[in-house]
Amino acid sequence: MKKYKADIIVTLKKGVRDPQGTAVDTVLKRTGLEENAEVKVGKFFALSVSGNNELDARNKLNKICEDVLSNPVLESYEVERFLEE
Amino acid sequence: MKAQIIKTGIIVFPGTNCDLDTKRACEFFGWETDFIWHDETSLNKYDVVFLPGGFSYGDYIRAGRLARFSPVVMALSDYVNKKRGFLIGICNGFQILCEAKLLPGILSVNDNTKFICEEADLLFENKEITLPIAHGEGRYIADEKTLQEIKSKKMDFLKYKNNPNGSAKDIAGLWDKENNIIGIMPHPERAIFAETGNIDGRAFFEMIEAAIKGKLLSTGKI
Repeated sequence: MKKYKADIIVTLKKGVRDPQGTAVDTVLKRTGLEENAEVKVGKFFALSVSGNNELDARNKLNKICEDVLSNPVLESYEVERFLEE
Repeated sequence: MKAQIIKTGIIVFPGTNCDLDTKRACEFFGWETDFIWHDETSLNKYDVVFLPGGFSYGDYIRAGRLARFSPVVMALSDYVNKKRGFLIGICNGFQILCEAKLLPGILSVNDNTKFICEEADLLFENKEITLPIAHGEGRYIADEKTLQEIKSKKMDFLKYKNNPNGSAKDIAGLWDKENNIIGIMPHPERAIFAETGNIDGRAFFEMIEAAIKGKLLSTGKI
């Protein structure tokens, strides 16, 4: 059994209104730091997954992302990092 | 024909906080109530099961996400499939029902990003009523096809008059297409007793009572 460390970022799908992102956009504009930052607010997860091999662990990770960490109606996820421990 | 006392189950998660209000509202109508802890799996003795408001599992990841995997919510699918009784999710309960895919669509962060706690003017089966709302993630979202189905099957029994959170089609409360499950964002259980200054919530419980009695009649239980 091998163990892998993964970093996951969950964001709202394209086209879903992101009121938190819009709020941060407004602040960036007001402070003069950036005019059109198009901020997206999401969530970050770091976790370990085990598997017989990399493919096995990646399949399990995808299931975790689809079933628990995100809701496909609303959100999409990206695996930012996937390394053997 | 003997009078049948309505048996109510009220599910309690770590973080639920409207369980007692829901119990008192049910008892006002003479319904028998039990609290059901979230690891319970047998629900078949109840004519109606409530998922009350609150912050189940601290709303971690997002509202309703973790509650969806609790043994009691898994058992709810069975309760619904058997068409045993009615399942009602209020506020956080509505979020759980959507996360568990028992109702279509999803509830996301309010348009104005704020937690809204106020009295909301609503249209309830074409009557104007006012009910308290208290939520941060109450903006109802669904794809166009789902919204059309909701409209054509008249599943949206409750609508906001001045949409406070940006919900699609002003939706505040929803039946499922089989008329066994209800999700409702406002809190009817907080508007039962005259002391609270608002008794409009009674209309909601009266609708449920009529539905339960109709079901008991049709199944020959009364």
